[in-house]
Amino acid sequence: MGIFSKTKPAETSQDLKESYFTASQGQLIRSRFKSNRTAMVAGWALSTMILIGLFAPFLSPYEPTMGGRDKSYENGPPQFPKFWDENGFSARPFLYTTERKRSIKTNFRWVLTENREKRRYLEFWVDDWEYSFIDINIDLPGTTFDFELKALTFKKHLFGMDKGGIHLFGTEKSGKDIFSRTLHAIYTSLAVGTLGVLLSFVLALVIGGVAGYYGGWIDSILQMITDAIRTVPPIPLFMALAAFMPDEWSAETRFFFIATILGLIGWPTLARRIRTHLLSERSQEYVLAAELSGASASHVIRKHLLPSFTSYIIVDLMITFPYVVRSETALSFIGLGLTDPVNSLGSLMQNVSKADVLLNYQWYFIPVIFFIAFVLAFVFVGDGLRDASDPYSHVKK
Amino acid sequence: MLKFIQFTITRAFLSLFTLLAVSLIVFSLMELVPANCAERYLAFKNTQGQNITIEDIAAEERRLGLDKPFPIRWATWVANVFFDGDFGDSCILRLNINELLSDKFWISLGICLAALIFSYILAIPIGIYSATTSNAVTNNFIRFISYLGLALPNFLLALIIMLFSTVFFQESLTGLFSNEFRDAVWSFDKFKDFLSRAWLPIFVLGWSATAFAMQTVRALMLDEIGKLYVTAASARGISGRKLLWRYPAKHSLGPVINSLGFDLNRIFNDLPVVALILTLTEAGALLIDALARSNDQQLAGAIIFLLTASIVLVNFVTDIMLALMDPRVRQGLVG
Repeated sequence: MGIFSKTKPAETSQDLKESYFTASQGQLIRSRFKSNRTAMVAGWALSTMILIGLFAPFLSPYEPTMGGRDKSYENGPPQFPKFWDENGFSARPFLYTTERKRSIKTNFRWVLTENREKRRYLEFWVDDWEYSFIDINIDLPGTTFDFELKALTFKKHLFGMDKGGIHLFGTEKSGKDIFSRTLHAIYTSLAVGTLGVLLSFVLALVIGGVAGYYGGWIDSILQMITDAIRTVPPIPLFMALAAFMPDEWSAETRFFFIATILGLIGWPTLARRIRTHLLSERSQEYVLAAELSGASASHVIRKHLLPSFTSYIIVDLMITFPYVVRSETALSFIGLGLTDPVNSLGSLMQNVSKADVLLNYQWYFIPVIFFIAFVLAFVFVGDGLRDASDPYSHVKK
Repeated sequence: MLKFIQFTITRAFLSLFTLLAVSLIVFSLMELVPANCAERYLAFKNTQGQNITIEDIAAEERRLGLDKPFPIRWATWVANVFFDGDFGDSCILRLNINELLSDKFWISLGICLAALIFSYILAIPIGIYSATTSNAVTNNFIRFISYLGLALPNFLLALIIMLFSTVFFQESLTGLFSNEFRDAVWSFDKFKDFLSRAWLPIFVLGWSATAFAMQTVRALMLDEIGKLYVTAASARGISGRKLLWRYPAKHSLGPVINSLGFDLNRIFNDLPVVALILTLTEAGALLIDALARSNDQQLAGAIIFLLTASIVLVNFVTDIMLALMDPRVRQGLVG
């Protein structure tokens, strides 16, 4: 028995070792990522937010635009559905009816009062405003690129009220629902980030690839240009580019233009990393060995060089993402970026620095929490991926 | 020594080249704006009741040199900027840009440099401390702060601080000067007033840079502490703070100095938006005004160019400093 108990762990550790040494790179990365608790939590949070962003129209009870505004509930505080109050318990969550009054007593400001006798009930799976999951409408100057597509149109929403409105995060000054706008803003941030990152990634791959692969004077010149662009503070540069947008452009066109600008300026850091990596990998012994065994250039690039830094690139893209989102937010905040009806966190925050808002309508700040959570989740996942994709990260510690 | 001078000169030429490239970027941006200066001048005259013809515009273009091809106009602009420090006139405000900017630009630069210094004064000790301590709570806290530096952009931080100070203290903390000093000439009292208000923009602007610098310092220190020469030094009986400052801290300082330029870049990045929120009256606010409201490309170009030029200058200075301080770099230059 004693011998048995001693050999058994040895066997399992042998198995473990074997599974460790035969595992593919992807499996190793996955298992290392899973053992990182913070990154896993962030990963779940991020997936949830991506889902929320994708299904924003379904989850939000009102249109995030002027069309969905609630005229009788402007600058209204957040409403939380209740299950019980002094008048008794209700299995269905309810809200009170609000009434709006304005008279000489209130100094001619609209004042909201709630009537606790009149309950309104929450309903699930309701029909309301129409939305399409695929809704592309490009309207550039000229007609050659104009394009319109609507598909997957639905009217169902997760929840709504039997009468009147429900505003979980309150409303802003024209009565737009902040909850719905926040969800749509998450979607916009995701979309801008994805487009911007993809574009800068393609540029970085081409420019960094050329610089790293050819080296020599091409590399020097490309490096000088990259450095010059890197020295200019990006947000003022974005602002300068965005300022040229004609006012008559539609919100969708502005959206694509902004994403393009962000992509066009975001490439230098990434290009530099790709170049450095290529330069150092190119002179590695395994590349030499492959070349000596008669591998063609394309084989070396495809089978040896690219796999050596795909994980780096993925990590880099994850890390670039928050920067793009941040820049977009700053642009929209100052009014040079996205405008109504496209919602983004920046445009949501546009009016909050007014004293009136700071003193009376603090719920305008609720979207900030989501933005911070969103970026933090991205950063933690990116960091976790970086640690997981580095084969030496565990050896060092 | 000769090698060092040679290095300085090469580096200066490289900086100059970067500046030229930047000026090309900025100038092209200025050119992208629809309607040139001549049209704008005359559009103004038109509002004054004068009748304007196409010939008038052409004549005005000739007077301003706008009929010349792009490279020549760029060369003239660059020559004016480099040799006379003259950015020309703003078409919208019809004022000389130098007069418009002078004070405001120096205030902005002062605030940004103060923010940079502030962030390193905080980041270096905290970074070193967190690299040497084994306290998990402290380390996680610092890690979290540095992530927050990215997740909470400076302008959102400014908004949140404003929210709290208005809710709790009924004071919105905006502006750079109190009313009595706004148009006064610089004096000691004005400076005191300025300092009593400038701490918030300095803190807010330094925020991201601090968070990042903290992480950088920590990572560099961790790298250096694990090296054999530190073990050797401690074997010789050097310990505690002396060991840290004498060896690893000194060595990890190099990359930190190198990153100064990029941190300044990070600070400039947020300058305009923070200026808008805190209603500062300096170059950042002027830049927003020029871009978002009046489409004043001459002014915007001048500000962006000046900001970038100060980054290039900082990069140049840090490179020279690094060469002076770090024997490895010096050796690399000479050998």
